[in-house]
Parts: sequence; C-alpha cells; structure tokens
Amino acid sequence: MPEVPVLELKDVSKHFGGVRAVDGVDLAVARGEILALIGPNGSGKSTIVNLICGLFPLTAGRIVLDGADISDMPMHARVSGGVARTFQNIRLFGQLTVWQNLWVAQNSGEQRRQGFGRRWFGGSRSARGEVERTLEFFDLAHKSNELAANLAFGEQRRLEFARALSAKPALLLLDEPAAGMNAEEIDQLDNRIRKVRDDGVTILLIEHHMELVMSIADRIAVLNFGRKIAEGTPASVQANPVVREAYLGTPEQV
Amino acid sequence: MDDYLVGVLSNIGIVSFIALSAWLLLLTGEISFGQQAFFAIGAYAAGIATALWGWPLGAALGWSAAIAGGAAVLVGVPTLRLHGLYFAIATLGFAEMVRLLFEQFHYRVMIDGELVGPNGSDGFRGIRYIFENDVGSLQFLALIYLLLAAALAGFMLLERSRLGVAFRMIGEDDTLAALNGLAVARLKILAAGLAGALAGLGGGLYAHLTTYVEPRVFDVMLGVHSLAYGLIGGLGTALGPLLGVVIDIGLLESVRAFAGYRMIVFGGLVAVLLIVRPRGLLDEALVHRIGRLFVRAPPAGP
Ligand SMILES: Nc1ncnc2c1ncn2[C@@H]1O[C@H](COP(=O)(O)OP(=O)(O)OP(=O)(O)O)[C@@H](O)[C@H]1O
Ligand SMILES: [Mg+2]
Repeated sequence: MPEVPVLELKDVSKHFGGVRAVDGVDLAVARGEILALIGPNGSGKSTIVNLICGLFPLTAGRIVLDGADISDMPMHARVSGGVARTFQNIRLFGQLTVWQNLWVAQNSGEQRRQGFGRRWFGGSRSARGEVERTLEFFDLAHKSNELAANLAFGEQRRLEFARALSAKPALLLLDEPAAGMNAEEIDQLDNRIRKVRDDGVTILLIEHHMELVMSIADRIAVLNFGRKIAEGTPASVQANPVVREAYLGTPEQV
Repeated sequence: MDDYLVGVLSNIGIVSFIALSAWLLLLTGEISFGQQAFFAIGAYAAGIATALWGWPLGAALGWSAAIAGGAAVLVGVPTLRLHGLYFAIATLGFAEMVRLLFEQFHYRVMIDGELVGPNGSDGFRGIRYIFENDVGSLQFLALIYLLLAAALAGFMLLERSRLGVAFRMIGEDDTLAALNGLAVARLKILAAGLAGALAGLGGGLYAHLTTYVEPRVFDVMLGVHSLAYGLIGGLGTALGPLLGVVIDIGLLESVRAFAGYRMIVFGGLVAVLLIVRPRGLLDEALVHRIGRLFVRAPPAGP
C-alpha cells in the first residue's frame, strides 16, 4: 500500500486578476524524496511555494499536508505543521545577527510544547547547541555575531537555507537556492541538500540550474503557464519533447 | 538638589515610561499615536485607588499598570488587525475617545468633609498621597527612577530573550516572522499589553507627582511626543527613547536659550533625523557595533 504523501496539491489554482499563475495543478511529494519543480520564468513555480506556505489564499483546490487539509491554516501554524521555505529573493532579518536569525527560527515540537516562560525566556543549552551545529554545517560559525545585512551574498543564501532548516521541517521548500552562486558554491549546496535529505527531510526544489536538478532530483515536475505539463524521472523528463519545446530546449538554458 | 532640578528630573523619569511604551510598539513595527490613553487610564486608576479607596501607593501603581495593560490588550485585539497608517489612526482615535470620556467622568466621594474624585473636565484634584504620607520630592524621585531602572532591566532581559528577538523580527518583516513560526497577531497583542502597562505605570506616578490630573493633559501632543522620543533616540536599544526624552525635556524645555523655540527645534530635529537616521540616533547598527566593543572576541580555534 502506498504511503501517504507528505504533501499533496489537489487541483490547485491561483489567479491574480486575469493572470492564471497556477492553473489546476495536481502534485504529490512522497516522503523522503527530492522533487524538483522546473519551468520557464513566470510559469508559477514561486506561486506554488507561496500557496503551500500560506502567503496568500488559494483561488481553488486543496493543499494537504500529511493527510491533513492545511488550505485555510495561517502561515505560522503551517510552520508548526512542518513546512519551511526559502525565498528566491533573499529575505532575512537584516537588523538581527546571524545567531538571532537562527535561534528564534527554531520551532521544534518540543519547543512548542514548553510553557510560555521556558519557550520565550529560557535559553536552553540544547537549543544553543543546535544553533552551533547549524552554523557549522553552513560554514557560518565565524559570522555568528554579524548582522545578517552585513553578510556577503553567498553567506546570506546559506543563512536563508539555515534559517529554514532551523524550524526542523518535514518538508523544505527551496526556491532557487542556487541563483547567483558560482560553481563551487553550487557544489556545496548540492552536498548540503543531499545531507538534509538523508536526515529525513523531504524537499521540493525549484531551480533553473539544470545540472544541479538532474544530479539531485529523484523526480521532476514541469510547469508551463501555470499548468503541469510533465512529471517523472529526470531521464524521462529530459527526453520529453513537450518539455524540450516549452523549457529545456530554449537557447539560454544550454 | 534644588526644586527646579528635582522637578525636571521627575518629569524626565515619568515621561520615559510613556516613551518606552510607544517605543515597544515601534519595535514590533507599529506606530501608535495613542499611548497617552493608557497613561491617562493609569493616572486616573492610581489616583482613585489612593485618594478614594485608601490604597497604599505600591498597590495603586500595580493596579494602574494592570488596568492600562488590560485596556491595551482589549484595544489591541481589534486594532492590531490594521496595519501601518490605519493602525496609527485607530490609536489616535481611541486616545481622543478616552480623553473625551474622562471629560465626562464623574466619580466623587465625600472624604473628610470634602468631595474628592474625578470631576469631568475640571479634572481630578486632591491626590495627596505623598503629602499625607510625608513622601519627600527626593524620595518620590528615587521611586520614579527605581521603577524606571526596573523597567530598563526588564528590557535588557527581553533583548536577550527569544521573545525580544521575536518582537524585533515582527517589526522588521512580519510575514517572514510568521514564516518563522511566530504567532504574529498574538505576540503583537502581548507587546501592546506590556506597552499599555508601562504607560499606565507612568500615569500612576504622574498623578501622584502632580497631585492633580485633568483630561486636557492627555491630548494628542503627548502621544506624538512619546512616539517621537523613540524615533529620535533610536530603535536599537531601550535607552533610545530615554535619550529622546532627555534631549527634549532636559535640553529643549529646560534650557533658557531654547525658550519659545522648543517646538520648532523639536519638530526640526525629528524631521532631520527621519531623513538622515531613519531608525534614530541609537539604531540597531550602532548598538551592534558598540555591543561588540564589550564582547570579548571568541577564543581562537585549536
Ligand atoms: N503577488 C502577485 N500579484 C500578481 N501577480 C503575480 C504575483 N505573484 C506572481 N504573479 C504572476 O504570476 C505568474 C507566475 O509567477 P511566479 O513568480 O510564480 O513564476 P516563477 O515560475 O516563479 O518564475 P521565475 O522562474 O521567474 O521565478 C507571473 O505572471 C507573475 O507575474
Ligand atoms: Mg520564482
């Protein structure tokens, strides 16, 4: 019997006025996989991430997380439910330190069950240790006391990833994490995504960098004009003429 | 100390409470022009408690903070759904409503052959606790600064806590804060309640310092000043609003050279600062740099 998917989009649509940014998309993300979502600019990839995390309401359809309908849940409750994300355009608390960004992003079930005083005023050793480990993992330990706004671009990208991961998500939504990175940084990113997946986190990866996508994704779904036009293994998607026509074949992607 | 100096210092101390109150909301990204309402509620509540009910001062001050904090939570629930300008205008409207209500508020009791208590727009005279109990003006000054120091200590604690960081997150980007799992609406109401309690405590002190309150005092200008103190002094530390108060009351109001020009200089100062230092003199970046001077560099690796 197939397992319940971590996330299911059921006939999901989002229209902005006349723009059908997302138009009747069905998508299931299985536990433990890396599902890449690709497609041309403006095809609705970021909109799907925004819908999953609750940034704006659906026009139609349902979103189901771990078998529970979260379509009408407020954003913070979805984080508690296990969804965390990064932004295509870096979005951090620039006036806070790297440490603070990560410390308060922690949102494990254990912390939520703590009483008001412990949760908000307690500085538990394990929480601090957790920040230290995350800093190490993302090679940010030396920047711990720096304001996020003062970091270099690559560091900010890592901090975004680290911040999302600090919530201990079951499902991580990465919106173009490789954008603006050089080859070496993309290599490190590739490693980190794999390690996070190996730790049991399911990943929905949106990316234009095809080399990364093809090397790392278990499955790929392709969007075009808000509709899903293909879904399958990297090899099958790459070979799909419809996808080549709509996206992969465009000269800029060579 | 001469009386004038004691008066100025008492004033600075008391106004600091309402400045801190407006600043705490600024920290969560909300501009309130209405903190004077909670200052007024605290002033009346504390005055009534000592003058009419015979409570000791400590209990009356606690009561003024509690009732103003409670009122702030009640007002916060509907108004904090509004954002930016709409919230600012709602707070202003609420504060004016409170002031007008106090102009209609009569609650007089015969005490020692004399009618005492709030008497509408004539105000509330005879809050004589500190005379009746022989509290000297220096002693009262010490009480003000003791409570202010406690409030500041509370803020220092807050800044080091998750809650304080969460407030700052909400102030910087409330959507991202929600995406960090923070229950933004609830935390904002909590901040509003704490801010209300601070203003109420200040009001309670004020009523006992002046022995007499009238609704006119709690007008929009008090709210605008309270807000401006934080904007001048800066968002980086709770000392920011205090710096704002010292600049305005300690310098502009008390130094003869500025007599008659206070409002002009003050208004100009706010306008210039908003342009050159939008997050105030002691903004986050400066406070961060200063903080680093005092934190020892982390030990070198192995
Ligand atoms: N908040 C919004 N208001 C109005 N239109 C929007 C909004 N967000 C997205 N859109 C529109 O929806 C469409 C899909 O945008 P989306 O950002 O999801 O594309 P994308 O696939 O992420 O593109 P890219 O690869 O460039 O990031 C676009 O036409 C965009 O202009
Ligand atoms: Mg996008």
